[in-house]
Amino acid sequence: MRAFEGCPSSRTIDFREEGTKEESPAAKVKSELRQWPIQLHLISPTAPYYQGTDVLLTADCVAYAMGSFHPDYLKGKSIAIACPKLDEGQEVYVEKIKSWFGEAKINTLTVLTMQVPCCMGLVHLAKEALINSKRKVPLKSIVVSLQGEILSEEWV
Amino acid sequence: MEQSRAEAVYSFIKRLKNDEYERGREMDQYLNTPIKELITKFPKVGEILEEYEIGCVPCHVGSCLLKDIIEVHNLSEKEEKEVMVRISKIIDPDKVISIPVVERKSKIKSREIHYSPPMRKLVDEHALIKRWIALIPEILKHLEVELEGGLWVIYDGADFIRSYADRFHHAKEEDILFEYFDRNLDIIKTMLEDHEKGRTHVKALIESADKKDIMGISQHLLAYHDLLSEHIKKEDEILYPWMDRNLSMTQVGQLYSRFNEVDERSDITEKYKKFILNLEEKYQRKEIKNESI
Repeated sequence: MRAFEGCPSSRTIDFREEGTKEESPAAKVKSELRQWPIQLHLISPTAPYYQGTDVLLTADCVAYAMGSFHPDYLKGKSIAIACPKLDEGQEVYVEKIKSWFGEAKINTLTVLTMQVPCCMGLVHLAKEALINSKRKVPLKSIVVSLQGEILSEEWV
Repeated sequence: MEQSRAEAVYSFIKRLKNDEYERGREMDQYLNTPIKELITKFPKVGEILEEYEIGCVPCHVGSCLLKDIIEVHNLSEKEEKEVMVRISKIIDPDKVISIPVVERKSKIKSREIHYSPPMRKLVDEHALIKRWIALIPEILKHLEVELEGGLWVIYDGADFIRSYADRFHHAKEEDILFEYFDRNLDIIKTMLEDHEKGRTHVKALIESADKKDIMGISQHLLAYHDLLSEHIKKEDEILYPWMDRNLSMTQVGQLYSRFNEVDERSDITEKYKKFILNLEEKYQRKEIKNESI
């Protein structure tokens, strides 16, 4: 791995030498996505597939870093994706997450972020929405390493 | 002649292998033995478990199997190996026994406890019950059964136990939480037995209060004190973390929402928080008064 200095979110790191040493299973991994759209600006928080369900709020990069994202995390859940560093209009995000809690009455919210510090912004948005929501639900934060390992998993 | 020697060697090796097999079977059998039985037979086993903060010795039920105890307490692989080697040496000091690995339903995570939101609710309810339990020795010290109204603290205390600790808190466990697990598991059976014993003590406590029987009151209140202190410790440190490791995210959400429904339906927490706070102030004042005398 070669690393160059700079902001961790945009630091250049080369994983090629570490490559995939083990052969991946031959069978195709099927998509567990059960809705469209998925970008947080585009979704309606009260869409039927959010009602009473377990929701994943995922930083854009997570699904690329984690090899097993679909079977291990997306399966059985509804999703929205966002980038807390680059996306604009994030106050809308807080309102939409609040709607999940209050109107869609979601069962749980899991926020999956990358290990880079700016990604924590997504957890803060979810926390802010939860604090301002009358209805509370379990909120879990999972931090993923640049190579898709789970670094931490905790209740917020 | 040579052949018979070879046969003898072969039979010796076979015997050794059989011994090894038998010892493996023996250890397997111990893994499936209720812990009380094992500790009674080998008291040192209890001491070893205590070193790993596994409090089976004071448990009055002790029906959990050794293998379940290892899983439920979330020992690391290193600790598990250590504890099992030490136990095997107690069981059979002359033999080196290979220890079967205890199968786990959930991954080993850190032993540091991070409760899920529904479990956090139950732990917070325990905090109020523990505050009541902590007052029991002081209550008994100042109890005056012959005074008019001298027993109100016993009747109000029994009401707190029945309404808050039992109907509100234990009902959440029995009617909701335990539904997500097999009720025949020893760990659940032990908790249910504790609940029943608590109910028996409270019934006897009220009967003793009606008769102004100070000995009976002390006996049952202290027994409740000991039972619940141990029970809460078991739930906070062992049962809830184990349940958290085995619940899915969906189940955690369902539990949280069902607990919230109970909270909204029977809003008694504030009433009993005030009750405990008043008692604490009252007995603290008594203590200060006693100290100044």
